[in-house]
Amino acid sequence: MGCERIEELLSPYLEDDLTQEQKRNVETHIHTCPGCAELLSLMRETKESLSLFPEVDVSENLIEKLYELPQKRKKFRFVADFLLRPSFQPIMAAATILLVFVSFYMFHPERSTINRSIERQFNIGFGKVEKLYAEAESITHTLGKYKDSLLVSIKNLKPFRGDKDEQTKT
Amino acid sequence: MQLERIIKECVQGNEGAWKMLVNSYSKKVFNLAYQFAGSYEEAEDLTQDIFFKLHHSIEKYDFEKNFSAWLLTLARNYLIDQYRKTKWEKKSRDEFNEHLLSADRRSGPEESAMIRESKKAVWRGFNHLSSEIRMAIILRDIQGKKYEEIAEIMDLPLGTIKSRVNRGRLQLAKILKETKEEENGM
Repeated sequence: MGCERIEELLSPYLEDDLTQEQKRNVETHIHTCPGCAELLSLMRETKESLSLFPEVDVSENLIEKLYELPQKRKKFRFVADFLLRPSFQPIMAAATILLVFVSFYMFHPERSTINRSIERQFNIGFGKVEKLYAEAESITHTLGKYKDSLLVSIKNLKPFRGDKDEQTKT
Repeated sequence: MQLERIIKECVQGNEGAWKMLVNSYSKKVFNLAYQFAGSYEEAEDLTQDIFFKLHHSIEKYDFEKNFSAWLLTLARNYLIDQYRKTKWEKKSRDEFNEHLLSADRRSGPEESAMIRESKKAVWRGFNHLSSEIRMAIILRDIQGKKYEEIAEIMDLPLGTIKSRVNRGRLQLAKILKETKEEENGM
């Protein structure tokens, strides 16, 4: 038997959990192999050390905390019930969607491209608004030019000149 | 029978029954967490988490099963999950002296220096064991449980448990050897 096979049998050997034949094989091997004999002795020492590990006492503070766990859980349940009530669900859904968009923006590998695109769209929008404003100004200016003739035309409209016509007839 | 009544009362929210359960099992769970994680403060937090889980899932307990084994399975699952999430193997363990020597009422001047040094080396050596092997060694060699009980707690075949215990002992023995060689300046 090789050392690797013997290593597999060392624990059962220590616990007397081998057949007579396996036990004999281990004993024959360790008599001729100092490495495996040393390993067996170290394993025995390890096993003994482990069995001597003491049980540590639990602190009073921890015991108190454990006693209070059911109350803690009740509070936790109350908060969970409050947050999960049906009337909160549309808000939660909206917040989730917002978070998805924010995280999509924050963690997108091409965030700078998105930034540039947003800036471009913003500039286009701003340009359009400026153009509209300029057009509105020119309309005001043109209207100013025709203001006098426009006023005359309005005054000449039937409802406004009715009285004058009647006076001329008489 | 007594335990069955306590558990049923816990499910109904009886505080006294819960306290009895804490008194009976906190030491067992805390020691398992401490031996596994190696840090006293961490073990306190883990024990609270495990009891929180216990309170949450006690209504699912099957009275046909052994309660102690069921609770240790719950603890074992939680500890191994946390180990994987937080990579405890990279954290250092408390020095052996801190809590273990003060708790050890058996050790005294009569305990040989060799055994004391071996205990220290083995305690430190736990950090080199995988979570599954570490758990098997703790249950078998520190807590002295039967292989059948460990197989039930870890939900694994008997042969796998025996093999893990053997591998753990071999690893610890090799660590012990290295420590001795370092001390002897080899």
